[in-house]
Amino acid sequence: MDNLYRERQVAQADLAAALDDALYDALPLGCYATDRTVRTLSLSRAGVLAMVTPLQPGEAWESLASRYPLFANHEREMQAMQGIDVRSSPDRRPLYFRADAIPEAVVAEGRGVSAVVVGPVHAGIIEPGRFTISTGGESVVHIDAQLSYSHRALEPWFEGQSVLALAPQVARVCGNCSVARSWAYARAIEALAGAELDAGTEYARLALAEMERIHIHLFDLGSIAAGAGYGKGTTAALELRERINQLNRVVGGHRLLFDSIVPGGIRPGTFADPGSTRAILRTIRDDAMRFVDAFLAKRSVLRRLEGAGIVEPAMARRFGAVGPSARASGIACDVRALAPYGAYREFSFTEERASAGDVFARGEVRRREIERSFDLLERALRAMEGVALPVPTELSVPEGTIATVVEGARGAESISLSVAAEGRVGRLHIISAAYRNWPLVTRAMEGNIVPDFPLVNKSFNLCYSCVDR
Amino acid sequence: MSQKSFARSLGIRHLVCGSCNGCELEMNALAAPQYDISQEGWNIVASPRHADLLTVTGPMSEAMRLAARRTLDATAEPVVVVAVGDCASGEGTWCGAGSAGAGAGQELQASVVVRGCPPSPDAIREGLRAAATLLDGRNS
Ligand code: SF4
Repeated sequence: MDNLYRERQVAQADLAAALDDALYDALPLGCYATDRTVRTLSLSRAGVLAMVTPLQPGEAWESLASRYPLFANHEREMQAMQGIDVRSSPDRRPLYFRADAIPEAVVAEGRGVSAVVVGPVHAGIIEPGRFTISTGGESVVHIDAQLSYSHRALEPWFEGQSVLALAPQVARVCGNCSVARSWAYARAIEALAGAELDAGTEYARLALAEMERIHIHLFDLGSIAAGAGYGKGTTAALELRERINQLNRVVGGHRLLFDSIVPGGIRPGTFADPGSTRAILRTIRDDAMRFVDAFLAKRSVLRRLEGAGIVEPAMARRFGAVGPSARASGIACDVRALAPYGAYREFSFTEERASAGDVFARGEVRRREIERSFDLLERALRAMEGVALPVPTELSVPEGTIATVVEGARGAESISLSVAAEGRVGRLHIISAAYRNWPLVTRAMEGNIVPDFPLVNKSFNLCYSCVDR
Repeated sequence: MSQKSFARSLGIRHLVCGSCNGCELEMNALAAPQYDISQEGWNIVASPRHADLLTVTGPMSEAMRLAARRTLDATAEPVVVVAVGDCASGEGTWCGAGSAGAGAGQELQASVVVRGCPPSPDAIREGLRAAATLLDGRNS
């Protein structure tokens, strides 16, 4: 089985040292609590390692965040949702708040510093968040991003429900990373059930995931164009994305491919005609690459994108950044290459990276990834021709705990699942790429001019729903 | 120019109330050349003060309840609320899940409901047309 999961018991006193060891060649995935047991996860070539640390009654959790800042939000969540007492944390505010208790924003103080608040409702079609921007003249000194406006306390609600029946809900935790999350969820269930899938289903899943990546990457590039004030680019990107969405409807029965990957297989009827899908994709590819290549070579666009919102590699690493945004700062973190799963094990795949860490680099990595996605689709669809795709396998899910990770358009999407008796959810914990990357957005803005916030923000284009869930 | 030329133009303010963002992806698609709602004189506006209608998505999250109510209050009469998607209409995946409400459109008494998870851009456009007709009636 690919992408193995293993657990190791580690006492709290030994955790920091064990973590230093593990992270030498692994991607940190954060930590989460089930009742009073904390699991600290990382991903390497050998799969997911979970360090399991049970807390004694009354025992507090010593924050790891001063050593590894990426843990700060995971710990704030354990505190807010599981009531774990977190000690010596740099940020003690709850990650999620109830309607009547919005945490106070952190603002900078000093001569000439003033603060501007925007949100939670914004001037566009975007999710809710409150940004408190401390400025000194035109420059940003600090940004406090308050999410949680979409919080629906879904994780406790999942508990006790049938693991198999929850698949449509998991597909709808976030519309931007739906296919990736459904895939991670299906893989978790299939690994526990010991199910092996046929090659055709694996090709189809890879193809579905790459179609999601293309339409989200195009959307993100269109958003960068909007942030740069290049309206023509936004229109062109939306036109191309729409063509993929229409094709999604034909090949997967849904414009955003919701429910196309299900536990045990794929939705019956998916990719009924791989040959004609390939032909349509080739036309879209030609137009897409022509647009993207021209967009990212345009002088006026480059002037806006280069040097804006720089994320240094060390910062990306400290905050556990993932996805194209991290790869734009040179971090190797593409799960498809790091710990290949499904049909990625069969196709050789090299991840795309850049080094400047600015808005341009984040666009450039996406440009190259779109091209790679079309390549992968071509190969997967070719391999599917003449292959009959079976209906999903019936599964019975035994008790157990597992974590799976797949590469979504915005980075590593992970599912941690504990199955209790009768195939019911004991714990279902979802950490998205956006969850991991939000701390970077605000830091990338420090020292930049206020009017560049939309541009820098859109170059990450992170979702809120899968963070707030 | 006669008043009629502007009769069906719309200023749209969008409220996300615990949506999964799928509805937003389809709302954004309305700006694609295949739909291009700006041709109809419809624009997403930057303030509720400029809006003729509110589009709302999601089941209603606890933390958005107050902000949503305030946005509606800040919009000049007559205003039409359009529930976009199954969640907003009260029949979606997240209605009543966890701490979520029964549907943002239900809570804000939407007079136009667009079903779908998410609704297609065509369906949303139809909903906006229905809202424009309603406003036409209320304005005269
Ligand atoms: S209706 Fe569907 S697409 Fe829209 S917010 Fe609800 S789950 Fe998401």
